[in-house]
Amino acid sequence: MKLDFKRSALLLLASVLALSAAACGKSGDDGKTTTDSGASSPSPSTGAQADNTPITFTFFSSDPSPNWNNMQDEVGKVITEKTGVTLKAEFSTGNEDKVALIAASGNYPDLISPKNGASLLVNAGALLDLTELIEKHAPNLKKVYGPYMKRLRWSNEDPSIYILPTYAGVNHTAFDEGGVFHLQHAVVKELGYPQIRTVKDFENAIRQYKEKHPTIDGQPTIGLSLIADNWRIMISVTNPAFFATGASDDGEYYIDPKTYEAKLHYRRPEEKEYFRWLNHLNAIGLLDPESFVQKEDQYKAKIASGRVLGLIDATWGFADAVNSLKAAGKFERTYGHYPVTLNESFKAANLQDTGFMAGWGVGITKSCKDPVRAIKFLDWLASEEGQILINWGIEGKHYKVENGKRVIPPDVLEKKTNDAANFARTTGIGLYNLLSAHYGDGVKDSTGNYFTTNFPEQIQAGYSPIEKEVLAAYGKTTWKDFFPPASEFPVKPWGAAWNIPVDSDSELNVLFKKTQEIVWKRIPQVILAKPEEFDKLWDEFMKDLIDAGVEKQEKLYTELVKARVKLWNE
Amino acid sequence: MEAMTEPAKPEAPAVRRIGRAFAKQKWLYLMSVPFVVWLFVFHYVPVWGWTMAFQRYRPGRPFWEQEWVGFDHFVELFTDERFYLVLRNTLAMSVMGLVAGFTVPILFAVLLNELRLQWFKRTVQTISYLPHFVSWVVVAGLVSKMLSVDGIVNDVLRWIGVVDQPVQFMAKGEWFWWIVTASDVWKETGWNSIIYLAAMTGIDPELYEAARVDGAGRWRQIRHVTLPGIRTTVIVLMIMSIGHLTAIGFEKQFLLGNPLVVDYAEVVDLYALKYGIGMNRFSFGTAVGMFNSIVSILLLFVANGLFKRYTKESIM
Amino acid sequence: MRSASDRLFDACNVVLMTLVAIVTVYPFLNVLAISLNESLDTVRGGIYLWPRKFTLANYEAIFSFGGLLVGLRNSVLRTVIGAVLGVFSASMLAYALSRRDFSARRPISVFLALTMYFSGGLIPTYILMRDLGLLGTFWVYVLPGLVNAFNVFVVRSYIDGLPFALQEAAKMDGASDWTIYWRVVLPLSKPVLATIALFVAVGQWNSWFDTYLYNGSEEHLTTLQYELMKVLQSTMTGNEQSYRGRNMTEVMATVSPESVKMAITIVVTVPILFVYPFLQRYFVKGMTLGAVKS
Repeated sequence: MKLDFKRSALLLLASVLALSAAACGKSGDDGKTTTDSGASSPSPSTGAQADNTPITFTFFSSDPSPNWNNMQDEVGKVITEKTGVTLKAEFSTGNEDKVALIAASGNYPDLISPKNGASLLVNAGALLDLTELIEKHAPNLKKVYGPYMKRLRWSNEDPSIYILPTYAGVNHTAFDEGGVFHLQHAVVKELGYPQIRTVKDFENAIRQYKEKHPTIDGQPTIGLSLIADNWRIMISVTNPAFFATGASDDGEYYIDPKTYEAKLHYRRPEEKEYFRWLNHLNAIGLLDPESFVQKEDQYKAKIASGRVLGLIDATWGFADAVNSLKAAGKFERTYGHYPVTLNESFKAANLQDTGFMAGWGVGITKSCKDPVRAIKFLDWLASEEGQILINWGIEGKHYKVENGKRVIPPDVLEKKTNDAANFARTTGIGLYNLLSAHYGDGVKDSTGNYFTTNFPEQIQAGYSPIEKEVLAAYGKTTWKDFFPPASEFPVKPWGAAWNIPVDSDSELNVLFKKTQEIVWKRIPQVILAKPEEFDKLWDEFMKDLIDAGVEKQEKLYTELVKARVKLWNE
Repeated sequence: MEAMTEPAKPEAPAVRRIGRAFAKQKWLYLMSVPFVVWLFVFHYVPVWGWTMAFQRYRPGRPFWEQEWVGFDHFVELFTDERFYLVLRNTLAMSVMGLVAGFTVPILFAVLLNELRLQWFKRTVQTISYLPHFVSWVVVAGLVSKMLSVDGIVNDVLRWIGVVDQPVQFMAKGEWFWWIVTASDVWKETGWNSIIYLAAMTGIDPELYEAARVDGAGRWRQIRHVTLPGIRTTVIVLMIMSIGHLTAIGFEKQFLLGNPLVVDYAEVVDLYALKYGIGMNRFSFGTAVGMFNSIVSILLLFVANGLFKRYTKESIM
Repeated sequence: MRSASDRLFDACNVVLMTLVAIVTVYPFLNVLAISLNESLDTVRGGIYLWPRKFTLANYEAIFSFGGLLVGLRNSVLRTVIGAVLGVFSASMLAYALSRRDFSARRPISVFLALTMYFSGGLIPTYILMRDLGLLGTFWVYVLPGLVNAFNVFVVRSYIDGLPFALQEAAKMDGASDWTIYWRVVLPLSKPVLATIALFVAVGQWNSWFDTYLYNGSEEHLTTLQYELMKVLQSTMTGNEQSYRGRNMTEVMATVSPESVKMAITIVVTVPILFVYPFLQRYFVKGMTLGAVKS
């Protein structure tokens, strides 16, 4: 027995050594994660001809891209052919952020897309100022950004350009609007398509239908269900408060359009009335009592069972529940979207224009040995040829041109919708969109075709029959028609407040977190309280905010907003 | 256990003593010192990072260019009311977890050990640790569903007539700690019992024989053979766990929590994440981590000392 | 000759254990059921022990992902290498520390114990790996965690329970400390060694964060869990892109992240279920002790 054990132990050791030798052979790399291999061109070309000698750039992105195929996909190969550039890319898993490590260790990739981590890199001095490079070598970038070039600057004190905004599309138009207040088609249909304009209308519709149908498919009917699972509380419970009171999305703040003063939006008296309305709904039994306790899957299960009459949420928040209903054939239990506000004096400002949103994008780091080549690469991606390739693919393979119009053949479309991951991996369509500047939906190129593959015509084609029926009954063709158009509102000179970066050192971060904690605790509390106690609790809530330093927070934020207005408009 | 000593020698100068000790026990040194060096490199060297707690750390700037702020972060930490609330929650849940996390797995291991049918024993054991591999995300979802108003727990309670309206278990802050502890027991008991089962197999079967000969029934055998046999293991694990009292992670509390119970659910590690690394405030995060570590080490020494004194077992 | 009270005890025990088994197997069966159920149907809820609309689509989504094979190979490698290294390092150090006459026993124990309770932080650790040349290598998976205080103390407490007389006998026969360790203590410690092997193996098998941190851009060093994370991501982004207001009509995902998450759990856990019974035979009572005594 002893011998047995000894022999097997020795065998184990031997196999470990053997395996280690095998493993050794596999890790061919030296210790560095970022090496700029490949020959760079002997001298940066200043002429108009593109320099195509092969070069590899390392790239890190804070966003995942799981279908990335090392540019071995069809589009990727064309990009390499036309620019000579191969990207050795690394993507985040979506949870943790390596940008801080990158900044701390000095191991910078050539190109980087750091999202919120940009300020870390700027503070570490890792990013190059791109102003000159764009001026000299990037005509396409200049063209695409057009009048918005001012928005690329980092700050009033440091007007360098560190990040090229690539997440937002220039001149993007949304073809449809999902709003935040949703009502089942079955409800409006049975009630004869009443006007759903104020919260009272919303409430009455739900109440009347629920009285007539206390159960649906054998389970109790729920009037309205909210979701407050972690950050979802913002989408379903708190943001709708400003949408319902005539403001548009500026994150947690309300910005006075004349003085640019920022206020935490809960401190507006109008919003108190909105939450009072939610409290009232709870008191009369129309609000799902589990709204603040349930997890996402419970929420979606209720919706997918068809018994939740009304929802307050973003459409993407319950889309798979809707898909489930459709798959089960329960189309009348899917939802329409209405421009509900507190009362007639408020207009739904969901469509208010922010101008080009700049924001997250790509930067070139100090480690890049050939920044001119790099900017030219990004410039090519932003050219008309580049954008069409990235969005549409290769002519003949992924799309055809019929009578001057670009059309996607049905078999390609089928793969795109039903086998999305594989489609992205093999064709490469959709993998390169966040690398450089690009136009948004609705912008046409020089041939009169859209740059992107989303067109207005698709929207209506995608409506289910009952959706069309409901829309027709209200005299509309798309849901967007319900909402006051952007032209009725002034363009916000600060863009959208949630987009304004806050320096990681600022006291604002801590104050914000503290007031957020108070909000997330107090709002559910005031909604679930007895109506008589609402005012008292609300006053306590307001006092808590002041004690936590909300006035200082608002002051600091106002400065940021004013700085932004100056930076983007002067 | 007697030491293997030689008859006493007169005191020699320190260096020679060490040298002689080394020569005498060279194998023991060879079997331990390399690992000590290893530990030093991989665990102790990075501790220079603790200096971040006294700076306004900005990544990318070299060490000498960092701004020093002394104890500011600690002051901020100790003057934050929320921190004390969070600490209370952490201690409550970890003490409850400690009690449950020892009594239940040991009991389970003992009972499992007593099973006679080998295949049944092995099957139950294998099944019992399955929940360990299911992530907390999934388990939290399951628990949430089971405790919801139309979940199984409410169904059972209504059926046996204890309540007539469903109870929203997850909405009550006071119950949160119990829910977390119970969920953890459910998930980890099987896995945690593995160590005890292994220790039990090391007990000399002759001891059981002797007890049976003396007329001891099953329970007395358990009390006088099995339990003492795993005593060392239990104590060692307990000392180590006590050290971890403030650093219990936050995943399960985070996933099981909701806005209504947030005052009971937030723990130190979540606080550190929210106000530290999550905001790129590395210095503050490091300060909280330092606090945790120092408290842990203190607890370790206290626990070790107490156990050494009263039970003669310890780890240091 | 089991007494009546013995038999009662056994019977109650069996009943109790059966209940425990049922209660603990439930989450796993639930995960299995959801993984075999159509995503769109799962959203409706109500799946408990078996799938309502059977499908293998969730597993197909996983296995159609290319990087899995490389990830599997690396995961197996690090699991085996890590477990062997972990067992030997823990047992060696544990033996040395179990000897009360070892002059460096106390200081090393303290030095070791403290490591469980502090850490320098993510940034210094990352910089250390860079400076040691471990970034972008396979060894970053198994070397840093080689010495684990918890494992050492567990093994040591086990060794403490072995009759010291055996070691003394070997010493009198002229055996060196190493020989005592190798020929006397190790063979007797199979149960605890199997336990440590299991712990280390499971830890290695499940880890992905170190892959992400240190080897994120090295495709040939990817691990199974990391690849599975990517699979999960691909279902999530697929959904998001279609929902982000742009074109709700476009992609109706046939596979949702929740369902894939369940399938991933099964894929990751099943190999462990196969390995464990192999280790379980070391937990048989008393077999080792009796034999060696002679």
